[in-house]
Amino acid sequence: MRYLYRLSALTTFAVAVVTVSAQQPDAKTTTASKAWKQPKTPWGDPDLQGVWPSQNMIGTPVERDRKLGTRAVLNDEEYAKRVAQQKRGDFSGTLRPEGKFSLAGGWADSGKANRQASLVVEPADGRIPALTAEAEVREAARKKHWQQKHDSPDTWMDLTTWDRCITLGPVGSVIPSAYDSGQEIVQGPGYVVFRSEMIHEARVIPLDGRPHASPEIRSWMGDPRGHWEGNTLVVETTNFNGNIFVGAQGGGFGDPGAVATDQLRLTERFTRIDEGTIQYEVTVDDPQTWTAPWKIAMQLRREANYDHIDEYACHEGNIFMHDALAGARVTEKNAAQAGVQKGVN
Amino acid sequence: MARKLAGFVLACLAVGTPAWAHHSFTAQFDAKKPVTLKGTVTEVEWINPHAWIHMDVKGDDGKVVNWMVETGSPNILLRRGFTKKSLEPGTAIVVQGYMAKSGENKVNGGSVVFPDGKQLFLGGSNPDDPGAK
Repeated sequence: MRYLYRLSALTTFAVAVVTVSAQQPDAKTTTASKAWKQPKTPWGDPDLQGVWPSQNMIGTPVERDRKLGTRAVLNDEEYAKRVAQQKRGDFSGTLRPEGKFSLAGGWADSGKANRQASLVVEPADGRIPALTAEAEVREAARKKHWQQKHDSPDTWMDLTTWDRCITLGPVGSVIPSAYDSGQEIVQGPGYVVFRSEMIHEARVIPLDGRPHASPEIRSWMGDPRGHWEGNTLVVETTNFNGNIFVGAQGGGFGDPGAVATDQLRLTERFTRIDEGTIQYEVTVDDPQTWTAPWKIAMQLRREANYDHIDEYACHEGNIFMHDALAGARVTEKNAAQAGVQKGVN
Repeated sequence: MARKLAGFVLACLAVGTPAWAHHSFTAQFDAKKPVTLKGTVTEVEWINPHAWIHMDVKGDDGKVVNWMVETGSPNILLRRGFTKKSLEPGTAIVVQGYMAKSGENKVNGGSVVFPDGKQLFLGGSNPDDPGAK
């Protein structure tokens, strides 16, 4: 109940920030309030340090409802529906709002309802652009395989990079997850380190203008280079390995997004717009996967009860991988025995 | 194996096709095998992304078996009302959850009831649980 009250109290603030950002997503236009002054590090860079979870954005869909067209901001009725959805998803405390108590354990955190229609703000319809013809074929094969094997894997390769605790990639690590959406920025002279709670990522971003690594060098998280444009940190990342899903988190069947090629290029902008908020934007460009670049914009906010990031033991001692593979074998064995029984009878 | 282990109630409920979640619930656990475990806490691993409760459960045959209960992340549990003292070894608890598909003594925990009647969510991940709607 206390949480719901807090949710309600924060809504007004959230609406104000989101309305500005959804309509004018560029960092240049998300200016700070007059009373607030951008703090600087001792060596003179804009100070972005701190823990900035993306948790508040849970409940904002990656792609916009087609019915909204190019309207980036929810009206009062649509907003009321989102508030109601957030309340239904709020498992804080000991009872559901309606007093039910069941096996459902509230896996997911709830966000703070806002009026931003979608995380995707460009193109204007708030939807990820169409795939290229080549990517259509690739994605159809990937999704078919996922449908066939994900719930009963033959090998760890049948599971996503998220399941396998490898990575969510730079975009998937930042956009809100159902849980563990902690993000942290740590700065030093010449470097910014961006930590993501899920899955235990630390992107070390040099600011000294050095060139990207050789095109022969490829990695899951790519090769980031940063520079300042006023108070905005701009990070360009290339040299991906061609295995990163970009879009909704995880890359399951039906999730918006696709596995990008090694031609993926990300341009991220981090702008602190007040004491407790960073405006985050990322432009995704991979001409071999999407027919046009697209952009996500959202806010990373300080949370009173989220002031540090816990260590991430993603494999939980490899329990999931063991359980998924062992479970699939038991399922197969049971099915085979049922088949024998059927034959006997 | 599960049927031989008493001390818990196994009920089969018809549920829909589960959707996807991190560390796919459906790859690891069986939504058609909800289970109730009554026992005492032996250990808790407070680790991301899922904390694990270890608990001793005494079967009808008197044999004590140790079970592992997967829960949400530590910060999820914090927000559900747990404290570091909630699950100290020896605490009597009743856990509701879902059996592992592997048939091992593991469940995905949905909720826990303490001796004083207090109930807390455990961060269960079955997306088709009736209470998740």
